[in-house]
Amino acid sequence: MIPSRKAIRQALTIARRDFIATVFTPMFLFFLLAPLIMVSFSLIGGLGASSVAEGAADRERLVVVADAADAALVEHADARLRTLFSKDAMPPELVIAAPAADPVAQARAALDARDHDVDAAIVGPFGLPHIFYRAGSARDADYLAALAEDVVLGQAGKGRPLSAPIEVEVTHHGATVGGRHAAGLMAVFGIFFLTLLLAGQAVGTMAEERSNKVIEVLAAAVPLESVFFGKLIGMFGSAVLFILFWGTIAAQVGHVLPPEAAQTMRELQPAVGWPTLIVLFCCYFTMAYLLLGAVFLAIGAQATTIREIQMLSLPITFTQIGMFALASAGAARPEGWVAVVAEVFPLSSPYAMAARAANTAGLWPHLAALLWQALWVAVVISLGARWFRRGVLKSGAPRRKKAAATANG
Amino acid sequence: MVDLATEAAASAAGLVKRFGERRVVDGVDLVVPKGMIYGVLGPNGAGKTTTLRMLLGIIEPDAGERMLLGYDHPRDASDQVGYLPEERGLYPAMKAKEAIAFMGALRGLDWKTGRERAAAMLDDAGLGHAADEKIRKLSKGMAQLVQLLGSIVHRPDLLVLDEPFSGLDPVNQEKLEKLIRAERDRGATVIFSTHVMAHAERLCDRLAIIAGGKRRFEGTVADARGTLPFKAHYVPHHDDGGIRALLPADAEQDGDGWRFTLPEEGIEALLVRLIDAGYGIAGLSIERPSLHEAFVRIVGPEALAEEPA
Repeated sequence: MIPSRKAIRQALTIARRDFIATVFTPMFLFFLLAPLIMVSFSLIGGLGASSVAEGAADRERLVVVADAADAALVEHADARLRTLFSKDAMPPELVIAAPAADPVAQARAALDARDHDVDAAIVGPFGLPHIFYRAGSARDADYLAALAEDVVLGQAGKGRPLSAPIEVEVTHHGATVGGRHAAGLMAVFGIFFLTLLLAGQAVGTMAEERSNKVIEVLAAAVPLESVFFGKLIGMFGSAVLFILFWGTIAAQVGHVLPPEAAQTMRELQPAVGWPTLIVLFCCYFTMAYLLLGAVFLAIGAQATTIREIQMLSLPITFTQIGMFALASAGAARPEGWVAVVAEVFPLSSPYAMAARAANTAGLWPHLAALLWQALWVAVVISLGARWFRRGVLKSGAPRRKKAAATANG
Repeated sequence: MVDLATEAAASAAGLVKRFGERRVVDGVDLVVPKGMIYGVLGPNGAGKTTTLRMLLGIIEPDAGERMLLGYDHPRDASDQVGYLPEERGLYPAMKAKEAIAFMGALRGLDWKTGRERAAAMLDDAGLGHAADEKIRKLSKGMAQLVQLLGSIVHRPDLLVLDEPFSGLDPVNQEKLEKLIRAERDRGATVIFSTHVMAHAERLCDRLAIIAGGKRRFEGTVADARGTLPFKAHYVPHHDDGGIRALLPADAEQDGDGWRFTLPEEGIEALLVRLIDAGYGIAGLSIERPSLHEAFVRIVGPEALAEEPA
């Protein structure tokens, strides 16, 4: 199973040709910049969604029916309570309405206002208030209830604060369980995202050799295993170039992260530490790429037309999503049996082991896993090459007896 | 079945290959001596390509053994072998010089040397101007020549060419014949398959004829021709119908004369009888059977009938 120097040299020759043929083309520039299209559309979509959300929020109101005597207390309580909310979770703007003849009916009718969307309305007395709210606005009703509580305290002359807390910020230096899980999920998603983008391309790489009949020249000079491995390495090279390009950009983006995001990042503490996780991430991405790429290459090598290759894309994507789901489930419960299955099953193993690195300290399982995955890469390449040789490299056509001898010289 | 000859450039014993239920190659034995041009002849569908592919290790035989340049496993000799498959194939986006260097690199030649040799070989072949042209811009014949150069750039000890003349115009066929002879003169062994007898007749030191997956003949061109007797073409001064009785039984009228197999005892006695009977000799030629005739006889009408349309 250990390849000879000659086989490695031959594989690298194939890889070199494929790498150059892939990278030194205008299409590669398009491929390299493809994420820009995704980011652009995401930004446009995000801006649109944000604009719609902000527009809707601008139209939302909470109504408090209160006389002038209570209005100041309501405003004071509202101002104090809003300090507890982040910008995204802030309750709608509060409007104070003077009581009419029937304040309860007035509050209820406020929900039918045409100039604004009133999510909830409250009417006193604040010791026994009536709160009306739209379906889905129970949180706003709760806010108004808290507001009433504050107003009652104010009416009783017991304005806040009633206590004098001493707040001490403590920075957590160790890895938290949540931080480890989050780092694990991030590692799984990172590998999944990259392999989803890049490994699927392997499915069509043998099509070129089949269509221009180079395959027999290659097969005569080089074992098919080396052809397969060389093509994988070539594709992997272009994938690494892609990752280096975007990784460099992403690293610069990291410097301009807002403080909240930077804090969130600090809380992600993998069990093996960041430097080790980064090394393991690279190893597992390599294995995931080679393993899935080898499977896709072997399957794609059987395809004879572009249409067949396109047809294969969907099951391939679903396979990747399935492996991602399995590994994610394992990452969420690192001690469960799902995690063990995901770590052992070859196609999900790289994802699941990356999650394990984030969740559990200890390096020897990773060494074992990398060997296990490398073994499967070799097995898949070997089987794929045999399958290809049996299905493609023959001069007769046994499936159609009539044409059995046409290609035999 | 022959014993594998370690001193031969290539040898095979009892090679069998089945595709489905059909035995495409059925117990073929071959011994290709070193330094020779060896032809593998046969009609279409005879099993030539499959035999060559098994010999080179591209596909594995179902039974039998082979030896290539002294190696039990053909793959071990791959750096010393050059191969031009029947179905030509090059990367269309590659430049001619790069394509040749790439094929050399596959066989262990370093890229720098490969490029240098490629440039020189293209110049020699009159294609120097196309060295930096992409393959897709070359004519079919030029691309075929580039591929052939790619198969010899690493100076192989054994060159295997599958139907090398197909698709070439007469000028390029002539160039290819010269190139094959030059390879033999360099010391390489050349095996080529063809179903065109003229090339085999001009080039082959030895040949094998395969039909229906079986080897029907192995020997020199002269040996092949020797499987048929010489023919005589005799033209009398006049022909009154009585001459038929004097001629051998297989005599057939051919224009003004008669064609028949040369009698085993020689033609002298027959000629004396014809002169005595007053027919005289207006023309006489003794014809050596052609390789084509020998091929048709060896292959037989059944095997030729197997040839797919």
